[in-house]
Amino acid sequence: MKKLWVVLMLLPTFSLVFLLNLYPLVRGGVISFQRLTVFNLNNPRYVGLANYETILRDPNFPRILWNTLVWIAWSVSLQFIFGLILALLLEKPFKGRGAYMGFVFYPWALSGFAIGLLWSWLLNGQFGVVNDLLVRMRFIKVPIGFLSDERFAMMSVILVNVWYGIPFFAIMLLAALQSVPRELYEAAQIDGAGFFQRLFGITLPYIRPTVVSTILLRIIWVMNFPDIIYGMTRGGPAGVTTILSVQMLNVVYYRNNFGLASALGVIVTAVLLAFAVVYLSLLEKGEFEL
Amino acid sequence: MRKFLVLLLMVVLLATTFSQQVTLRMIQVFTSPLRTKILEEIIAKFEAQNPGVKIELISPPYETAYQKIYLMVSAEEPLDIVEVGDWSLSALASMGKLLSLEPYLAKSELPKYFVPGVLEAARTYKGTAYLLPNALYVKTLFYRPDITSKYGFPNPPKTMDELLQYCRALTKPEIGQYGFNFRGKGYPTAFIDIVMTSFFDDIDPNCMYLKKDGKLIFEDPRALEGLKFYIELYKTAPKDSINWGFDEQVNAFVSGITPYLFQDPDTVGLLKELMKEGTYKTAPLPIGKGGKAYPTLGFSGWGITSYSKHKDLAWKFLEFFNSPEINAYWCREYGALPVDKRVYEIDPYFKSEVFAGWRAMFDDPKHYQFTKYPLDNEAWSEWNELHETTMQQVLLGKMKPEDALKTWANFWKKAGLGK
Repeated sequence: MKKLWVVLMLLPTFSLVFLLNLYPLVRGGVISFQRLTVFNLNNPRYVGLANYETILRDPNFPRILWNTLVWIAWSVSLQFIFGLILALLLEKPFKGRGAYMGFVFYPWALSGFAIGLLWSWLLNGQFGVVNDLLVRMRFIKVPIGFLSDERFAMMSVILVNVWYGIPFFAIMLLAALQSVPRELYEAAQIDGAGFFQRLFGITLPYIRPTVVSTILLRIIWVMNFPDIIYGMTRGGPAGVTTILSVQMLNVVYYRNNFGLASALGVIVTAVLLAFAVVYLSLLEKGEFEL
Repeated sequence: MRKFLVLLLMVVLLATTFSQQVTLRMIQVFTSPLRTKILEEIIAKFEAQNPGVKIELISPPYETAYQKIYLMVSAEEPLDIVEVGDWSLSALASMGKLLSLEPYLAKSELPKYFVPGVLEAARTYKGTAYLLPNALYVKTLFYRPDITSKYGFPNPPKTMDELLQYCRALTKPEIGQYGFNFRGKGYPTAFIDIVMTSFFDDIDPNCMYLKKDGKLIFEDPRALEGLKFYIELYKTAPKDSINWGFDEQVNAFVSGITPYLFQDPDTVGLLKELMKEGTYKTAPLPIGKGGKAYPTLGFSGWGITSYSKHKDLAWKFLEFFNSPEINAYWCREYGALPVDKRVYEIDPYFKSEVFAGWRAMFDDPKHYQFTKYPLDNEAWSEWNELHETTMQQVLLGKMKPEDALKTWANFWKKAGLGK
């Protein structure tokens, strides 16, 4: 009798998760084996692994994977470092801290796509504000094509993503920092520990669980985050900023090929799953320290 | 309290039974604040003439509008009137969810007054009209006489060679002056083709990518010449323009950085707001080495879903929308070429200088031969993506023009085009 109640009580949550998460996931998996484009929305047909073959045979695919890796590695590591610095600065109370925090956390409240559009105008290589300032300050003579020059495009979108993502780490790490017992710092101070000794000896080990989970969350998030790139370059010029999730959007919006896009989605899911398993098991074993 | 509730319930019931309001649901594609406002005004006029009818306008953001419409229509979600453009016609019609408008057109007065080409355009898909076009889009040359005359070119270029010569003379990066308003991102296909095909004199009137002998243009040496010419034009544009879409193009034109622009008539709607009259003009597209230019006739209009419960009423709205006064208002405010001959007569606006470029092209069929894109080919949407990225690679020097042409030829051969 008691068991029945448990099942009944779990049912609403389970059905919601099933409806909103599992069903789309399974449906996406099924579509990835179909030829489903805008021309045959009503009568899709199964094509086996053809969609996966198209993706893996695409000569650009290795480069898209590499771009994705570069995008994640730089974005997450810089977001983490600056987020930690910001959190450490904000830890001690000072006058106007609340207002200041609201100010620096503000980007986090904006939509990624809007940020992409905003920065695409700021960084415009002809009439962008950033170029105008740099020219006026005499750092450069000719405007830089931040988004049109293949040497700068990836760097530009990553920097914008870092700007956007710092508040996330700052908020999470700040909450964790505030849970570190003060006594530990007092004891360390008596022992004569310096700033870095306290940071690496007390703070980081203590907040390690938060760091581990936020980095994992963040990597998943950033990999699935095409908004900024889409708003700024649509993956261009000539594909140098195309990451997996941007490619997925391009396949949907340009080619209207939903089967192919789903196959890409499944590949993204598989990559992330594999990554999460390896990451967590390495942490369990204590192979690497954070 | 209970008495009050009962009373309230009765009032609501009475109101709903007596009003018998019919609601038509209508969805647009090319959403912008300006366009939505104009549409709402036209809808208000229709509602005033037809008591008891309400039209609910859905305006998804342009970027996702096509996908939204495809999915809504394929799932038969409640929609009566759907905006159909030349690019989405085949996809929507092939689902079988659009109503054939032929029976209505047979009874209507409207086709009598259509501008040549409109009825054929409406019948693009298997010879049956699935939409009533209300606006035409043809690219022409916009230029800024106030800027170009400073460099000694008060008149627009008549040929592609003149265009390149003027653009080169204007280009002075040190003072931020360039020539050609280049489109690098977001469907640059038509911009590439206007220049490339102008080197031909034998383009198939039914397909932009075929010659009259049925072969693909990309394997012809003239295509290479045209493509190389296009790269020369890019050199008179800011390097940044490889990442320019429509907004950046308009911005660069308004600020005068690049005073020569190929664009559609809807740009006029924007320019009217942003610029003084007379600071911009239009001229026919420059003619290339082939002695011709090949514009395409773009169109958009309203279609009716095959599962709509109010088909006749929806048609009534479509006819109202295309009546000369409304069509004139629509095309003038939004910036498109009207489909109805009478509009050009009743509205002096369409005789004004702003429309000189289009008029000259329509009046000169010897040099301006209209042609069509293979929009009903399933590969069309993939083509836009491939065309954009390969073109960018060519511009960045990562791909040779010859290789791009080979890629393009192979793509279309695989898609079943050409001999």
